[in-house]
Amino acid sequence: MEILKAENLVKIYHDNGVPVNALQGINLTVSKGEFIVIAGPSGSGKTTLLNLLGALDKPTEGKIYFEGEDITQKEKKVLSKMRLHKLGFIFQAYNLIPVLTAIENIEFSMMLLGIPDNVRKGKALALMDELGIKELANKRPNEMSRGQQQRVAVARAIVNNPSLVLADEPTANLDSVTASHLLDMMEQMNSEKKITFIFSSRDKQVIDRAKRLIILKDGRIEN
Amino acid sequence: MIFKLAWRNIWRNKRRSLIVLVSIIVGLIAIFLSDGLSNGMMRQMLFNQINLDIAHIQIHKAGFNRNKIVKNYLPDYKHVESVLKANPEVQAYSKRVYATGILSSANNSSGVIIDGIIPAEEAKVSIIKNSIIKGRYLGSGKRGILIGEKLAEKLGVDVGDKVVAMANTLKGDIGSDAFRIVGIFQTSSSEFDKIAVYVNSKAEQEMLGIGDNYHEFAIITKDYNEVTSIKNKLEAELGSRYEVFTYRDMLPMLIYQMELYKESMMILNIIIGLALIFGIINTMLMSVFERIREFGVLMAIDMKNSRLYLMIVFEAFILGIIGTLTGLVCGLLLDIPLAHSGINLSIFSVGLESFGIGAVIYPVLSAGSLINSVLFMPLVAVVGALYPAYKAIKLEPIYAINYV
Ligand SMILES: Nc1ncnc2c1ncn2[C@@H]1O[C@H](COP(=O)(O)OP(=O)(O)OP(=O)(O)O)[C@@H](O)[C@H]1O
Ligand SMILES: [Mg+2]
Repeated sequence: MEILKAENLVKIYHDNGVPVNALQGINLTVSKGEFIVIAGPSGSGKTTLLNLLGALDKPTEGKIYFEGEDITQKEKKVLSKMRLHKLGFIFQAYNLIPVLTAIENIEFSMMLLGIPDNVRKGKALALMDELGIKELANKRPNEMSRGQQQRVAVARAIVNNPSLVLADEPTANLDSVTASHLLDMMEQMNSEKKITFIFSSRDKQVIDRAKRLIILKDGRIEN
Repeated sequence: MIFKLAWRNIWRNKRRSLIVLVSIIVGLIAIFLSDGLSNGMMRQMLFNQINLDIAHIQIHKAGFNRNKIVKNYLPDYKHVESVLKANPEVQAYSKRVYATGILSSANNSSGVIIDGIIPAEEAKVSIIKNSIIKGRYLGSGKRGILIGEKLAEKLGVDVGDKVVAMANTLKGDIGSDAFRIVGIFQTSSSEFDKIAVYVNSKAEQEMLGIGDNYHEFAIITKDYNEVTSIKNKLEAELGSRYEVFTYRDMLPMLIYQMELYKESMMILNIIIGLALIFGIINTMLMSVFERIREFGVLMAIDMKNSRLYLMIVFEAFILGIIGTLTGLVCGLLLDIPLAHSGINLSIFSVGLESFGIGAVIYPVLSAGSLINSVLFMPLVAVVGALYPAYKAIKLEPIYAINYV
C-alpha cells in the first residue's frame, strides 16, 4: 500500500539572493512498512528532502501525497495536526526537552494528543520496557549519553503509533555499537508495528542495513 | 504538564530567574515603602492638623471665617451645644473663645491667637494637653496661660513668669490682662507653637467683654470619614445663622496636596512597573533565544502555538507570583516594624516640622495599595512575556531546529 508519493520535487533556497538548487526533481514512492535509508554526501539535499516529506517545509515545485492526499497545498494548521497524529520525528540531536525526564518527554507527545494522564504513564513505561530503556525513565537528558537520548527520542517518535517516522541522521553522533543498537530498535519497531521509517545517513554501517537505499547527489536521486 | 514544564524552565537558569525575582521583590518593596511612607506622611499631616486645633468639624457664627472679629461670637451657643449633645455621631466637642492679640513679656512681644478654652473639654478634642513639655496643663485657676515653646523662647519667658495679653474688646477698645505661664507646649508644628496660646475661657470672656459667649465649637466625630454627612445634618438642624465646616473645608490645600501625592505615587508605581516590564521582556527574550532549537522540536512534534505561547507567558507569571509573594513577605516584614517605630527623618525635620508633619514618619500600608501591588506584579510579568512569547511562536520549525 502506498503511503507517500513525491512528484517532481524541486526546492530552491535563496542564500542572500543567490538561488541554491537543493532538490532538482525528485520522484519517489514509499509503501507502508518500508525501511528506507537516504544516503548521499553533505549538501546533497537529504535534510531538505526529509523536511519536505515531513511537511516541515514547502517545495518550490512538485507535489507530495501523504496517504493519497496532496499535502503541498494544505494549511499550516492542518499540516501540524497531521504531523501530530501521523508522523514521528527524530532529529540529529537535541530531540528531548532538557527539563523533562525521559518518561516525561515521551508522555509529553501523548499529552499533545490529549491522551489522559493516567493512561500516559503506563503506555510510556510499557514502550520503554519493550525498547529496553526502562532504566532511563527518570533521567533527564543531561544525565544520559547521546545514544541513550536518541533511543528515548525513538520512543518519543513512535509512542503515538505514527504511520511514518522521519529521522535525519539519527546516528550521526553515535559510536558504531550504539548506532547499531539504535538501528536494531528501529528495525524491531518496523517489523513489529509496521511503522514506516525513512532516515538519512552518511554512515556506511547504517546504509548497509537499509532495506531500500536511495542515493542523493546534488539534489537528484542517483540509483 | 505545561505547568511542570514552565516551572522547571524557570529554574533552569537560576541566576537569570533570580535576577528577575529580585527585581520584582525590590520593586515591590520600593512600592510598599514609598506608598506606606507617603500614606503615613499624608495621614500624619492630616491628623496633626486635626489634632492640633482643627478637629473634624467646627461651628461658628455665619461669616466668622471671613471675618474673625470679637463680635462674631455664636448667637446661641447653648442651642448648638444641645444639638451636639443629641447627635450620636459626635464623640467630643470643645467650646472656644477666639481672639487675635499681642502677648508681651518684659523683654519682647509677639502677635498671638488667644484660645479661651474649658480645659477638660479641650483635652478631649486636641492634643494640647499631651503636648506640655514643661509645667502643667491649664487648671481651674483663671490666670493661667499655656504658650508654645517657640514663643517662650522668643519672649524669653519660662514657667512661672508673667506675661500680658492684649486684644480688642467687644466695645472696640483694648482689653488686657496679666497671666502666669503654667505650662509650655511643643507640637509637631513650630508655626503653631509660635502663635497659639491657651487661657481659661472665663478669663478671656471677661477680657473681651463678651459675657459667657463663645466663638467656636471644635468637634471630634466618631468616624472622621463621615464628616460630610454629619456636617449636612448639623447644618440642617442649626440653620443659616451658623456655619459648619469640616476639616476638608478648612484644609483645602492639604486635601488637594494629598490627592496630588496619591497621583504622583501612582505615576511612580507605573514607572517602576515599566522598568520591570522591560527587564522581564529582556530576560524572557534571552530565555526564548536560548531555547530556539527546543522550540523547533516542540513545534515539529506539534506543540500548538497557543500552548507554546501559554507556556512562556506562564513562566513569567509564575516568576511574578513567586516574586510577589516573597516581596510581600519582605515588604511586610520591613513595613510592620517601621509602622511601629516610625522612620526618623530628623535630618530633614526642620523643614518637615513647619509642614506640620513631625520628624518621625509612621508608614501606613492601606489595604487598597497592598491589593493593587499584589495584582500589579504578576500582571507586569505577564505583559513583559507577551512579546518574547510572540517571537517564539513566530519561529519556523525548520529554522528553529537548525538554529545554532
Ligand atoms: N535554509 C537554507 N538556505 C539556503 N541554502 C540552504 C538552506 N538549507 C540548505 N541549503 C543548501 O541546500 C543544499 C542541500 O542542503 P541539505 O541540508 O539538504 O543537505 P544535506 O544532504 O542534509 O547535507 P548534510 O549531510 O551536511 O546534512 C546545500 O547546498 C545547502 O547549503
Ligand atoms: Mg542534513
